[in-house]
Amino acid sequence: MLYKEWIKTRWFYAVALLTTFALCGYVLLNINRLVSLKGAAHLWEVAMFRDAIFIDMMRYVPLLVGIVAAVVQFVPELVHKRLKLTMHLPRGYVRSVMEMLLFGFGCLALLFCGNLVMLLLGLQTFFANEIVWHIVLAALPWYLAGLSCLEPVWRRRILNIMISIACLRIFYMSPAPEAYNRLLPWLTVLVVVSLALPLLSVVRFKEGKE
Amino acid sequence: MIDCINLTHYYGKRCIYENLSFSVPQGRILGLLGKNGTGKTTTINILSGFLKPRSGECRIFGQNIIGMNPELRRDIGLLIEGHIQYSFMTIRQIERFYARFYPQWDKNVYYDLMSMLKVAPNQRISRMSCGQRSQVALGLLMAQNPKLLILDDFSLGLDPGYRRLFIDYLRDFVKSSGKTVFLTSHIIQDMERLIDDCIMMDYGKIILQMPVDELLGKYRQYTFRLAENSTLPEMADVYHPTVIRGNVELGSFLDAEELKSRLVANGVAFEDFSSQKVNLEDAFIGLTGKY
Repeated sequence: MLYKEWIKTRWFYAVALLTTFALCGYVLLNINRLVSLKGAAHLWEVAMFRDAIFIDMMRYVPLLVGIVAAVVQFVPELVHKRLKLTMHLPRGYVRSVMEMLLFGFGCLALLFCGNLVMLLLGLQTFFANEIVWHIVLAALPWYLAGLSCLEPVWRRRILNIMISIACLRIFYMSPAPEAYNRLLPWLTVLVVVSLALPLLSVVRFKEGKE
Repeated sequence: MIDCINLTHYYGKRCIYENLSFSVPQGRILGLLGKNGTGKTTTINILSGFLKPRSGECRIFGQNIIGMNPELRRDIGLLIEGHIQYSFMTIRQIERFYARFYPQWDKNVYYDLMSMLKVAPNQRISRMSCGQRSQVALGLLMAQNPKLLILDDFSLGLDPGYRRLFIDYLRDFVKSSGKTVFLTSHIIQDMERLIDDCIMMDYGKIILQMPVDELLGKYRQYTFRLAENSTLPEMADVYHPTVIRGNVELGSFLDAEELKSRLVANGVAFEDFSSQKVNLEDAFIGLTGKY
């Protein structure tokens, strides 16, 4: 199953890897330019007293990557009801679908971890550890939002999309750094629960209701 | 091999059929014939476990398909309408993918068929013609080597050459290894070359299930001219009579003498009586009507 998913999505993940790392590099270069122009002390002051995080342009990138990943992985399965092929394989269909979802989740998680590690290491060259974590924690909900967008996309789409938007809104409610610190474990739970939602659609598909 | 018992299904309030029952014996090729909207694809979807009927049950290899042990699907080959496959894969990748799921996988059968297509092993399925894709789907089914094949409208989108190729390969494969096949097609001439038995469906019911040889041996199309002032009354065992300017055309399993005596008994005066054997398509139209 992983072989199929890999063939289907490998070009997307290659492009996503290059693009997101290029964006992270651009963000870090921008900070470097600000340090050169205005001095590190000024940036530290702005970070500590005005809650500036300098990586705002990454805000919706994980969400966008997550949405495109879901489209690239699942739309080919839905066109011409190709999902029937997967569900006809001689194994439990729940297992097949969970493997597909975990593949997408795992690839995105690896990609986002890579992004965060790059930001973490890059930021450490400009700021003290406390400020670095301050910035990374501000970005964490954005990356969690990117993981949670593997939502059901079959029938009842309007209802599902509305639920998805409501859930995703939670990840973007406050732009303040570390505003989500106490909420992060719950957001993580929300992401894990959202992984199971497509199974409801698959069960409906199996019974011919989709 | 397949036993469907009292299947009833509705889409919303629209009844597709009620208490539909049929069986498919082992080693036979059975074709399901019916006009559009009579429930052929519904039946295929129920058989392949993608649709839960309102009531009734469908058993394959003695197991109810709802809750069937997934491993039993190793012995069921499924061809989805339009020869749908994972078109983002190449012909080599798709063979590798499926091989892992089927212990009896025979890749030689698949590659023998692919070698006739004159396509490179790294050609993506999405870039193939419909005819070539049908051969890929057939090659995968043959490599899987299942005991039962369920084929939904196998002729969809194929030109006459590829239809003939598909049928010849399939028939040879099935007959040489005693497979059981349940299939539908909207091109009935193709079915005649392939199937042993047929089920003819009309809206909500099965009209008949019998071997094709028996059907074509017994069913006749009759034509005659009504004498002046004579009309054709409703008669039993006569299918869809049409009367155009006194010329009658009807189908029946009655032999010519029996039909003549029934016409006389019903007070029908006629002349120029003739009977002829028909092919499967004409028998289908005769039994289900043109409308």
